[in-house]
Amino acid sequence: MKLRVQLQCKNLHEYLKELSPEILDRLYNHPATCLAVYRELPPLAKNYVMRMLFLDQPLPQAAVALWVKKDSEKDHDQCVSVLSGLRLWHSQQLQGGLQGNILNPVFKDNLRIALLGGGKSWADQGDSLGPDRHARDVESLDKYALERWEVVLHFMVGCPSAAVSQDLSQLLIQAGLMRTEAGDAPCITSAGFQFLLLDTASQLWYFTLQYLNTAQTRGMDLVEILSFLFQLSFSTLGRDYSVEGMSESLLTFLQHLREFGLVFQRKRKSRRYYPTRLAITLSAGVSANSSSTAMGATPGTGDSGFIVVETNYRLYAYTNSELQIALVALFSECLYRFPNVVVAQVTRESVQQAIANGITAQQYIGVLVLLYMAELFGEILHFLRTRAHPVMLKQNPVLPPTITDQIRLWELERDRLQFSEGVLYNQFLSQADFEVLRDRAQGLGCLVWQNVAHRVIVVSPQGHGEVKRFWKRQKSHT
Amino acid sequence: MVNVLKGVLVECDPAMKQFLLYLDETTALGKKFIIQDLDDTHVFILAEVVHILQERVGELMDQNSFPITQK
Repeated sequence: MKLRVQLQCKNLHEYLKELSPEILDRLYNHPATCLAVYRELPPLAKNYVMRMLFLDQPLPQAAVALWVKKDSEKDHDQCVSVLSGLRLWHSQQLQGGLQGNILNPVFKDNLRIALLGGGKSWADQGDSLGPDRHARDVESLDKYALERWEVVLHFMVGCPSAAVSQDLSQLLIQAGLMRTEAGDAPCITSAGFQFLLLDTASQLWYFTLQYLNTAQTRGMDLVEILSFLFQLSFSTLGRDYSVEGMSESLLTFLQHLREFGLVFQRKRKSRRYYPTRLAITLSAGVSANSSSTAMGATPGTGDSGFIVVETNYRLYAYTNSELQIALVALFSECLYRFPNVVVAQVTRESVQQAIANGITAQQYIGVLVLLYMAELFGEILHFLRTRAHPVMLKQNPVLPPTITDQIRLWELERDRLQFSEGVLYNQFLSQADFEVLRDRAQGLGCLVWQNVAHRVIVVSPQGHGEVKRFWKRQKSHT
Repeated sequence: MVNVLKGVLVECDPAMKQFLLYLDETTALGKKFIIQDLDDTHVFILAEVVHILQERVGELMDQNSFPITQK
């Protein structure tokens, strides 16, 4: 009975597929969204979309199938499913009675606008307000973004100095990353631990998805927010934009973004805002991250790589940041603390404690997209690899094999017994009886285990009722 | 007539299974909990002993481990 919670981080496409068709159609009304969705398509799908972009007639499906060679059938099918899942094209009956495909008209028009120009301007440049007296340059924007995001993470770890608004802590609780008990300060959950060990881009993305999910319950318009988010991701770093023409809910959204560090606004009532690097890499960040194994510097963490792990299980973290030290302390025992180093030891107790709190050594972490999922990273090991000091990066493999193996073994120790509830059926009178019942259970998908030689089967409790009824019917027939 | 029993199916390696049989024989958990011994790697046990069993296994693993490094 594995009770561990897995952190699921969906891709943009997965998220969009879950939305209802009307919302999707409204979403495609905005050129920024269309461009963002187009950007994330697999190359073959992009090709198809481009070919059909300027056609006003539906194209026969046979013609589309001809575009690929015989041995790329699989890619073609995958493409078709992606495009239909996102409702980018419909099937339509042609005059000759054949089935044809045509691009979603709303999507088509807006993608054309996005690519060729025209239509409404997406966001007013700040020029209409005159030059900003308190202009911010790229560096200070980056610093600001990092600071804000770290405050959020600090709050999760429980540092007393971090204070966040009521809204934000509510959001964290709703996302399942923290929980609160009857008026106490919120404390972190196991999903929260896993979240902390992810890299910044995944964290941001997960967080945004959670926010979008709760947006509707708050009375905010999902379409508006999503379009604004995509718009942000196409803005230029270092340029200011004006808040003219933004509705109430968008303004609230802007304030929240300001708190996460995605946007900088000097004061609440300022009429201009600067998107930060975090916002711009947000939708681009997901695909970039998932196709590369995140090694070396992660964008957004102040120190690029700062952990050295030795084969005697000692860990040296060259950092001053409270947050990083708290993260390291999650799964190791801190021995000494100096002005710029923290010396810790990875022990069986500390790793098992961390695991008991919900992190795992080996598990699917942040399943970004089934398409891109290729590697299994233990969270602790992932954390160590992504924060490895440049000196460590010269070794191959980065972490000493003794350490990686031992951490996994300590985790597997807890899994020596696997439990599954069930109902045991034995002492069948004949082989035929056994087989009939066994096949029925298998057909229902509730067969947990069987032993043909001894005529014993174990059925899951959910299936037990059905199997029992089936058995009674059998008895009454024969 | 078919015999129907409710419980929990445990899957483990053969060494662990011997440990379970040992616990059962000596009634270390206060009662006999193995309903049926199925094969080399599976046992069928009572549902209520699951937690205590995990604890006992944990204790066994603790006894067999030793601190790797000196502080």
